[in-house]
Order: sequence, then structure tokens, then C-alpha cells
Amino acid sequence: MMATIDVSFLTVQVLSALRQAAFLFLISSGLTLIFGVLNILNFAHGALYMLGAYFIYALTLHLTGPAGFVVALLAAPLGVALIAAVIETGLLRRIYVQEEIYQLLLTYALVLIIDDLAKIVFGPEYKSIPKPDAISGAVTIFGGTVPVYTLLVLVLAPAIALVLWYLLYRTRTGKIVRATSSDREMADALGINMSALFTLVFAFGAILAGFGGALAGPARTVFPGVGTEVIIESFVVVVIGGLGNLWGALIGSLLIGTLETVGIIVFPEFEMSLIYLLMVAILVVRPWGLFGRPLKIKALSEKNLGMEAQEISPVHFSVNPLVRVIPVLLLLAVPLVTGRFYQYLLTQIFIASLVAVAFNLLLGTTGLLSFGQAAFYGVGAYTVGLLATKAGVSTLPALLLAPVFAAAVAALIGFFCVRLSGVHFAMLTLAFGQLVFTIAFKWYGFTGGDNGIQGIPVRPLPGGVEIGSTQAMYYFALAVVGVSVEILRRIRSSPFGSTLKAIRENTQRAAYLGVNVKLYQWAAFVIAGAFTGLAGGLYALMEKSITPDIIHWTKSGEPVFMTIIGGIYTFAGPMVGAVVFTVLNSYLVAWTEKWALVLGIILLVMVLLLPGGVVGFVNEKARAAFGKRGWVRRWTFSKSAAS
Amino acid sequence: MGAPMDVLEIRGVVKSFGGVRALQDVTFSVRQGEIRAIIGPNGAGKSTLFNVMTGLFPPDSGEVIFDGERVSGVPPYRIIRKGVGRSFQITNIFPRMTVFENVQVALFAHHRSSRNPVGLARRYPAVASEALGILGQVGLAEKYEQSASILSHGDQKRLEIAISLASRPRLLMLDEPTAGMSRFESRETVELLRTISREQGLTLVFTEHDMDIVFGISEKIVVLQQGMVIADGTPAEIRANPQVRKAYLGEEISA
Ligand SMILES: Nc1ncnc2c1ncn2[C@@H]1O[C@H](COP(=O)(O)OP(=O)(O)O)[C@@H](O)[C@H]1O
Ligand SMILES: [Mg+2]
Repeated sequence: MMATIDVSFLTVQVLSALRQAAFLFLISSGLTLIFGVLNILNFAHGALYMLGAYFIYALTLHLTGPAGFVVALLAAPLGVALIAAVIETGLLRRIYVQEEIYQLLLTYALVLIIDDLAKIVFGPEYKSIPKPDAISGAVTIFGGTVPVYTLLVLVLAPAIALVLWYLLYRTRTGKIVRATSSDREMADALGINMSALFTLVFAFGAILAGFGGALAGPARTVFPGVGTEVIIESFVVVVIGGLGNLWGALIGSLLIGTLETVGIIVFPEFEMSLIYLLMVAILVVRPWGLFGRPLKIKALSEKNLGMEAQEISPVHFSVNPLVRVIPVLLLLAVPLVTGRFYQYLLTQIFIASLVAVAFNLLLGTTGLLSFGQAAFYGVGAYTVGLLATKAGVSTLPALLLAPVFAAAVAALIGFFCVRLSGVHFAMLTLAFGQLVFTIAFKWYGFTGGDNGIQGIPVRPLPGGVEIGSTQAMYYFALAVVGVSVEILRRIRSSPFGSTLKAIRENTQRAAYLGVNVKLYQWAAFVIAGAFTGLAGGLYALMEKSITPDIIHWTKSGEPVFMTIIGGIYTFAGPMVGAVVFTVLNSYLVAWTEKWALVLGIILLVMVLLLPGGVVGFVNEKARAAFGKRGWVRRWTFSKSAAS
Repeated sequence: MGAPMDVLEIRGVVKSFGGVRALQDVTFSVRQGEIRAIIGPNGAGKSTLFNVMTGLFPPDSGEVIFDGERVSGVPPYRIIRKGVGRSFQITNIFPRMTVFENVQVALFAHHRSSRNPVGLARRYPAVASEALGILGQVGLAEKYEQSASILSHGDQKRLEIAISLASRPRLLMLDEPTAGMSRFESRETVELLRTISREQGLTLVFTEHDMDIVFGISEKIVVLQQGMVIADGTPAEIRANPQVRKAYLGEEISA
């Protein structure tokens, strides 16, 4: 093999790896800078990249020739910065004192909104951006053909990096930025005008993303949603390098750029899996990344920001068992009065509810934001799909194995993830989720690749009970989900559940109760994974076909959405959210193509105005209206203490 | 080195943060049942010492021995399970849980019921009455239903003591248990601690700024300054120590 690699080939590959690294660095340096100072993981960073690319596309339609291209290349990032400044001052600023996941969710809502807006404005198709003739040719270096544009990128990106370095290390503002990034409380105490600094840094990070897009656009293409791919790569880069660390972003970009280039040549099928594997390998040795260290950034003082955190209090209600029976009875009666459409819709809602309730065992109860739940859903669905089609396993045993396999995968992934916390945890679950996705997507021999699995047979249950029809599947899903949700409710109300809540409320204090925090977080992760896998298995039976789409990270965003809509600190909240989401989804999809936009706006409004969710809001109102007892029986310990 | 009755021994503990030497060769021991104060000006290293003693981070060198067992390098949850309780200088409770739940969950951990994912937390009458008992001890019984986040500062401090007591420690370490309390509240809290220590044979290690309290309650005192132990002895010895008097400018310690 070595002998056949000649110099020309090597030259082309090295330059291509460097070019890839250059793009990655532009994007991830902005991401890591924003994280370092604002302590916000900006999901919308990929969307900003996309805007940079669209802006240069739009500008070059009018500005032609080399001069026009240069103007466009400079103007596009500035346009992105302007939008970023509006986002920061108009939206993000309102929730700095809120818990960090709300900031993350806000930027996630922006991804949905910006992507769909881009689709409306620029259309759904791929756009290529014309380059002026002067830079669209190729030159020969060491016998290899290299596009001139690659050379341009390799000059411009390091130049930008140098400017960045100069600004950060040689200017007063840069020093303040670095000081804030390493010790926020110190900067807070020094009375630095944080508001202005935050806007500046967010806009500056956006310039870097926008420039990345403007520079990469002409080399690649641009389309709505390109950001969701780009952001994951950048997440991997900054996780590898260490969140908030610029040198880490540089090294991470070089590593990933190289690996992607080598991967395409050596393992073309699993190129994307490789980068996640590298990430896992690095995190096993260094959980906080190559240059990272555990971040203990406390929230800014409220005084300094002139606002108050909105208290979202868990409500201590417990619904009377009789009250819980009513919806079940109603649901049992539904098929008597409705047709297949509603039965199918409700089956979807049941499955979504289970995913959301399982997810909220992590978020609402334990305080862990997982952005990788789609992986367990996928493992469950593929377990059923593969066992049924390839091994001829009957439906019930296949379904029962779904949570087992999902739990096994969750146990492995969770082992690494619970070593981290906060956004680090979220990112790592996201990356692991994508690793599972790339495997399912590319492993044609086993998973069917992007074709997925079709024609999953639904065999009768033991005793000959048919569940193939829409109505039978409705009852089957109702039973499985009903029992699962009840189990999850029990878990939440158990001493184990109380302990998880304590971990959510104060991880350090929980450890000082003698609780092995990581073990409990891991256990919660595995339990949530198992039930998510069960839901995935049900999905495979309901749809009778699956594709890897169900594992994509954007799918992991769904339970997040449902939970926030419904109410994070309530048990019923995620189910209410599942109803809202599924109904919106199926009606909006039929009614408008812009359903992601609508979802994004709803999520945005919820995060800003109603962070306790619908159920949390109703509970608060009920308590205000009916006094302490609220609208349901409220348990007090004295009752149980007396019994 | 230490006598057999020593429950806690600190041997040559060193801890630096970057260039700051927060603890320099700290050595002392605490006897079973003793009430021991650690005093020193702000930044002397008292909280750092608490953190090292309870495993929040390991010492750079030196060791911490609890009950004859080396615990430096052991994670906090294991140290707690060996019978150590701790409260923090900055109040550390479970804010969005009720006062009752704060203590209840501590008791679950202590009784190893935390592992039970199927029983209902409210079906633990023994734990409930035990929690109420502890809340009664610290004077919070009436407020059991309130959210911990809306308690007054003094009540939150008391709640943290209740949480620490729930793990039934043999050694209780309290980092400024009365910080931010009114003088009256402080007195009450100290009386409470003294009673508990006496009744339960609990060893108490605490830091405190109010010298009247320190000299009123403690049996032995360690004085830290810039990370070093400058004196270790009975209240009378400490009062008479010229170095201590100098460190405190003779203001707070009246002979
Ligand atoms: N986690 C930490 N990181 C860096 N420096 C610390 C840390 N904790 C304490 N210090 C430093 O160690 C010294 C002792 O602090 P501390 O133990 O809090 O003193 P005390 O509790 O006696 O007031 C101080 O100079 C403080 O700045
Ligand atoms: Mg202190």
C-alpha cells in the first residue's frame, strides 16, 4: 500500500485535509469562544454558518467579478454578525439567569426557525456559489492537481486565526474576554460591563461561523439544514479539544480534518463513524477534552444583569388514582367511536409519550439533558426490525428484547457520559447518538443502510392474539405504554427517584449524603434508555418499516421539545407535550411545509415566557385559584407517617 | 502518632491552587467526642482544609486519617458513609424540595433505601418520623412543608445541619455554621450543636468567626494563618498564645 502512495497523491490529500481543518476551525473557534465567555452551547452556530453561505450566495448574484467576490466574502459574515447581535440582545439576554439548558434550548429553537426561514427565502434545493475565474482553476503542485480555491482557503483561514489571536492576546478587550472565559466571577467582580461584552463575543463568534460559511460555501454547496451537519462536526471538534479552549479547537480541527480525509480513502463507509470513535477514545482518557478542564462556572450575579431568575418550582401534586383511571377508560373507548386515522395518531402519541416520559426521568428528575435519546429509540426499533426480518423471531420476544439491547447500549454510552455534566453531557450524548446513527446509516450489510428495513412482520402474540391491524396495535401500544409509564411514575416516586431529584437539585450536596452520584445518574440513564428502546420497538411494529432517520440527532430533539412544552417538573407534562407535538406535527405537515418553523417559534416562546411548561402553568394557576390544595389531592407526609 | 482515641488525624497536609499555597504542612488530631474549632482570618485555608478532609479534592501531599483509616483520595460519598457529616460555608441544600424532603432524602441515603426504585417514598413512615425528629431538633418541624428555597438564611443553615445530622455521623464538620445568622440565632445554633454533641457523643469540628462562641463552646482550638497551623491547644492556651494575639491584633480575643 505504502509503495503505491506517490507524492502527488499525498500532496492533494494533505492539502484537502488542511482545507477541511480550516473550515472546521473557523466554525468551532467561534463556538468555543462563545461557550467560554457566555457559557452557552450555541446550537444555532451551524445555522449561522449556513447563513454565511447563503449570504455570499445572494450577494454574488449581484456582485460579480473578483472585486464583487471579495466584497461578498467580507459582507456575508458581517450580515451574520448583525443577526447574531439581534439574537443575543433580543432573546438570549433574557434568559442568562435561567438554567443553562434553557439557553441551549433557545438556540435549538433558533436552529428550527432559521433553517425553515432559509428554506422559505432561498428554496429547498442545493445551491452552488460561483467563484470568479481567477480562483476557480487548479494548479499543479508536486504533480497533484489542487484547486486554487483550496490554496485561498489555506491562506485566509490562518490569517483569520492570526487576527483572532491578535485580538484576544494583544488587545485590552481580548484580555477581558480571556479573563471572563477563565473566571467569570472574577470578571463579574471587576465590574466589567458584561452585557456589552456578551453581545460583542456572540457577534464575533458569529462572524467566524459566517466567514466559515462564506468561505466553505463556494467550495461545497449550501442547502437548508446544512447547519445541522456542520454543527455536529464542530461539537466533536470542541469536545475533543476541550470546550471553551481555542487551542483545543485548533488541534481538534486538524485531527478531525485529517481523519475525515484519511477515512474517506481507507474506510469510505465508516468515515463519519471514525470521528465519533476518535472522540470516544479521547474522552475515555481525558473526559474534558485534550485542553479542557472541569468547568465550574457559577451563574452570573443577578444584580449585575439587573434581572431575576424565574423560579420554576416542582409542584408537589399527586393525582388521585381514580383520576388517573379516567383517561385510560376514555382511551379504551376511543376505537369504538373513531376511525383508523385517529387510532393511528393516538398510537403515535402513546409511543411519543413513552419516549418523552423516559427522557424526563433524565431531564426533569435527574437534571441531565440527553440529546442522544434517538440512539436508544433506534436500537429498540432495529432490534425488532432485524430480529423479525433476519432471525424470524416472533413479535413479542423481539419487542421484549428491544429494551434489553437499548439498555445495554445505554449502559455503555452512559458509562462515558455521566463522567461529565451540564452541556458537556448533552454534547457527548449527542455525539454518541450520531455514532449510532452513522452505523445504522452506512452498514448496508446489516442494517440496510439508508434504505432501512421494510416489511417488518407483525406476528400474533402468544395465545394467537393478532395485533397487526391498526385497532389491535392501538390497544397493544396503549397497554405497553400504559404499563411502562406507570413503572416510570413509580420509579419517580420511589426513594430512588427522590435521590435522583436531590442529585438534580444539588449534585455536590447529594454526594455529601453518601450517594454515589455517578452510579445513580448512570442507572437513570440506563432505565431511560431501556424504555426509549421499548418505544422504538413499538414504533417498528406500528410502522412495519424503519429508516435511520429515526436515529438522527434532530429526532433526539423531539422529546426535549415535548418535555419543555408540557412541563419539565411535572410527570404528566411530557405526555401533554407529546400530544401537542404529535398533533402539530401531523396537522402542520399536511397543512404547511413550515412546521419546523412553527415548532421553533413555539419552543422559543415557551422557553422565554413559560419555562415551567403548560402543565406547570396550569398547576400554578390551580394552586392560586384553589389554594394550597390545588385541583388534585396533594399528599402530605403526615398522612403516610401516621399510617 | 495520634492516641488511640483520635477519631481524626491530619498529617502534613499540603494543598496549593496554582501559586497559592492554601495549606502548608497542616498537622493536628481530634479526639473522639471533642468539640474542636478551627479559626483563622479570611483566606487562612479553613474551607480548603474542610474540603481536603471531606474528599472534595485530595491533598497534594500528606494524609487524612479517619478512625485509623486513610481517607485522603477517597471520594466524598465514601467518606460520608464511613460516618462523616459536613456542612458548607455557602449554604448547600436542595432548594426546590420541601424542608421535609431535604431531610428525608438524606435519610434514604443513610439507610441505603435510595436504591429502591419501586417502593413509594411516602410509604416510609419510619423515615418520615425520623426526619420530623431531626427537624424538631433544629427547630424546623413547623416548616416541613415549605420549599427550602424560600426559607430565611438562618433556617437554611439550620436545614443544612439537619441534612448533615441525618447521615448519623460520628464526626460532624461544619464550615461556618452560623455565618450570616443574627447573634441570637447563632447562640441558639451553637447550643443545639453542643447538646447534640453531648447527647450523641458526636465529634464536632467547626469554623467560626465569633470568638465568644469559639471560646465558649470548643474544647480545643487550631489556629490557621496563611495555610499554616500557628497554634493548637485548649482555649486557655490559645488565649495566652502571643502569636495568636498578634495575628488577631489583640482585638477579638480578650484575655
Ligand atoms: N478552589 C479554589 N481554587 C483556587 N484557589 C482557592 C480555592 N479554594 C480556596 N482557594 C484559595 O485558598 C486560600 C484559602 O481559602 P479558604 O480555604 O477559602 O480560606 P478560609 O475558608 O479560611 O477563608 C485563599 O487564598 C483562596 O483564594
Ligand atoms: Mg472559608
